[in-house]
Amino acid sequence: MRYLVRRLGHAFFLLAGASVLAFLFTALAPGTYFDEMRLNPQIAPETVAALRAQYGVDKPLPLRYASWLNSVLHGDMGFSFAYNGPVAPLLVVRARNTLLLTITSTLFAWAIALPLGVWSAERLGRLSDRLLSWGTAVLLVIPDLALALGLLIVAVRSGSFPTGGMASVDFETLSPANKLRDLALHMILPVTALVLSTLPLLVRHVRASVADVLDAPFLLAALGHGIPKRTLLYRYALPAAANPLISLFGFSIGVLLSGSLLIEVVMSWPGLGPLLLEAILARDLYVVIGGMLFSTFFLVGGNLFADMLLYWADPRIRAESNAR
Amino acid sequence: MRVRRVLTRWLVTLGVLHGIVGFAGFFAPYDPVEQDRKSPYLPPMRFHLIDGQGHFHARPFVYALKLREGSFDRYVENTTEPQPVRFFMKGARYRLLGFLPCRRHLFGLENTRIYLLGTDAYGRDQLSRLLFGGQVSLLAGLLGAGITLSIGLCIGAVAGSFGGWRDSLLMRLAELFMALPWLYVLFAIRAFLPLAVSPLRAFFLIITVIGIVGWARPARLVRGVVLSAKERDFVRAARGFGATHGYLFRRHILPETSSVLLTQAAILIPQYVLAEMTLSFLGLGVPEPVPSWGNLLSSLQQYSVLVSYWWIYLPALAMVPFFLGYLGLASSLQERGAAYKIESRIWGI
Amino acid sequence: MKVEATATGKNVHPLLKVENLVKRYTKRSLAGTPEELLALDSVSFTISPGTTLAVVGESGSGKSTLANCLACLESPTSGNIWFEGKDIVKLEERACRQVRRQIQLIFQDPASSLNPRWSAFEVLVEPLILQRKFNREEIKKRVNYWLGRVGLSQDIVGRSPMELSGGQRQRLAIARALTLEPKLLILDEALSALDCSVQAQIANLLMELQGSLGMTYLFITHDLAMAAHFADEIAVMDRGRIVEQGPPNKIFIQPEQETTRRLLAAVPRIGRGDQSALER
Repeated sequence: MRYLVRRLGHAFFLLAGASVLAFLFTALAPGTYFDEMRLNPQIAPETVAALRAQYGVDKPLPLRYASWLNSVLHGDMGFSFAYNGPVAPLLVVRARNTLLLTITSTLFAWAIALPLGVWSAERLGRLSDRLLSWGTAVLLVIPDLALALGLLIVAVRSGSFPTGGMASVDFETLSPANKLRDLALHMILPVTALVLSTLPLLVRHVRASVADVLDAPFLLAALGHGIPKRTLLYRYALPAAANPLISLFGFSIGVLLSGSLLIEVVMSWPGLGPLLLEAILARDLYVVIGGMLFSTFFLVGGNLFADMLLYWADPRIRAESNAR
Repeated sequence: MRVRRVLTRWLVTLGVLHGIVGFAGFFAPYDPVEQDRKSPYLPPMRFHLIDGQGHFHARPFVYALKLREGSFDRYVENTTEPQPVRFFMKGARYRLLGFLPCRRHLFGLENTRIYLLGTDAYGRDQLSRLLFGGQVSLLAGLLGAGITLSIGLCIGAVAGSFGGWRDSLLMRLAELFMALPWLYVLFAIRAFLPLAVSPLRAFFLIITVIGIVGWARPARLVRGVVLSAKERDFVRAARGFGATHGYLFRRHILPETSSVLLTQAAILIPQYVLAEMTLSFLGLGVPEPVPSWGNLLSSLQQYSVLVSYWWIYLPALAMVPFFLGYLGLASSLQERGAAYKIESRIWGI
Repeated sequence: MKVEATATGKNVHPLLKVENLVKRYTKRSLAGTPEELLALDSVSFTISPGTTLAVVGESGSGKSTLANCLACLESPTSGNIWFEGKDIVKLEERACRQVRRQIQLIFQDPASSLNPRWSAFEVLVEPLILQRKFNREEIKKRVNYWLGRVGLSQDIVGRSPMELSGGQRQRLAIARALTLEPKLLILDEALSALDCSVQAQIANLLMELQGSLGMTYLFITHDLAMAAHFADEIAVMDRGRIVEQGPPNKIFIQPEQETTRRLLAAVPRIGRGDQSALER
């Protein structure tokens, strides 16, 4: 339990730190920021005055942080000038879409990487393993941007599945089953791009950690006992190699979150990515900060999930933290 | 020894690649911003050796492109007039390596213009833009990595040498920075900087931002090396000879970090080139007309370009050999580093 | 002038006098009470010039902490260290550096005490360069002199320490320490990492140097037999305390403490194996 409490504390620390950073962004810029806003004819002077009052530009920093944090915790993440409304509901919808994409990609990437990596580690050094290593190396050196654009061009030219957005024009009129099918079709392209961009990293790590374990004496002993190879690989070797892989799981979420930012823009998926880009171009500050806070929250959540997995999977951590 | 040979091979490969980009003025036939309004979105020309009559030419030639009958954006080769390729010919003025005024180009045509990778919307030569754009993108990667490593070295050295509360504070901060999704942070910082600035200012702006955001990982690695180096016997022995802390750091501890810093550089440079590409692609980086690998691709965000003009995509692949080179360099550096006991412990973390 | 003083007062003034030396480590963790570790528990002894004191103990008994405190690399929690009649515990950093040069430390693993990135020559001249009072010619002369004294040929100077054998490395480390002409040499398990035959060679070298230069040694080891071979006096350490002290004969024949007996049992002896087996 001690371990979980400690990890929870760490996650809390990260969120607190991220909030301080986010606050500093908003706090240290406004002087010039509000001035710039006043010159903008689209924003009413009253709005500027109200915002100045709300963010209490003249109060000392810690006080401002406390009131800022208070309002964020109550769901008030600021005001969007481009959308002329509060930021939070805007972000929630977009974040949901990003999360849908990221979680699906994470699941797919791991579902492919695990068997592929184990398979490759089992025949370490053989032709099939070397071919796979080459394949992952090739994928590794193709930048995400090139990969996404390439996929998009292929998809556009073949015309076989939708290449943009999240839903067809007639989405509202479809039956629930067809709605799901439509959504799945729209997800194919961005998910493929995301999976392909993280897959080489994952496969290589799975391969390396399983290959490490396969050399261990206890596995040789198990082999000597006549345990079938399949069982050996998946019930003995993989759990023993799980430790670094679970840490990698947390890391992969971060990679996918950052990766989805770009992929979403390229594939015009209505997630946080295009929203943030618009927001930056429109100088819509609070949207950007909110997006950063949301993504940090996801990432910290993902890492906490990985920690819990580790606690569940590794008897050593359980024993150690219970013994104390 | 084998590791050393592999390392040399990757270094030479990277040297050649960077050389081509570095001497872009010579390898590119035209000025990257020079427009040819009469021929927008011209597809790539092909080298020929055999002409329409089946005659063989020792000197490769191309055919100029002309609009197909009844089309406004489809081109066909004008096979009546072969245009022999001239080598080392005089052309547009440029400054070699940024200072040597020069006019020679590797190749070119005498009567008409050659577009080996096609042209963009303004009829600018994509090959020239690719080569000159590489200068911008690669320089961004190199300088950004330089900034990150300097900051990482300073902070890691302070944390490792002094220890105590400074160490705890800095390492907590590093953990925080490593936990943030870095592209989002990049976006957030970029959001505060002015949007419309001159290309030069934009360039330095994004280098600085990219460079600062990534300080945490190298700082942690450097700290680890400093901590273990401090406890090594030859450092304690040197203290016994009456060495000052400054001497110990300069002569014994700093060289220990070099291997980690080099490996980090090989990992960071391509990552930062990619970051520059991403920002410029999204219109947040180096603005037109200055080419960079990112903004060369940004017109692909328009559906019509994506559908009709596939050659605009070609610059996206320019990064691949560079990535390959840096990946190979990083892995052989890691392999060499593992030879020293101290570093292998670092990589084990 | 100082040399004269020690030479004449050999039996009067000890070179090193340690009084009630205490070193306490506190390990602080974020949560929970700080853990304390008493590495040295009021240790006292003296060493006369030109003699050898061996400190024998099992690993973790505080021997290396003692070496570090004496070499001014760590400061003790309390107690006094008198070196040539001066208390060196409360010295400032600058003065401390001067004292360190007089008390040189030889480490267990010669490979790690020589910077692997440097050549043997660079390693050897480091102390001389740090002293900043010699020019190139003098440095070269001294290096050659000391290389000869420890029995190394001059053509190893261009090589990396990594290319040398264990014995050569330890000779190099000794030569490097001697270039400073220290008064006291602390040998922290200096022979333990070497092969048996090399151990004997280095041991003989050390004894020869003591004879000709009048060196004073503090010999730290876990090997009682080696200590007896070497030392004029043996101090047995256990958990930070000196539990027994006396000339080698006394320690060997009439051990008073359990620790000493245990250490004695670990010494391989010909013809008396049955006895040590019984004791166990």
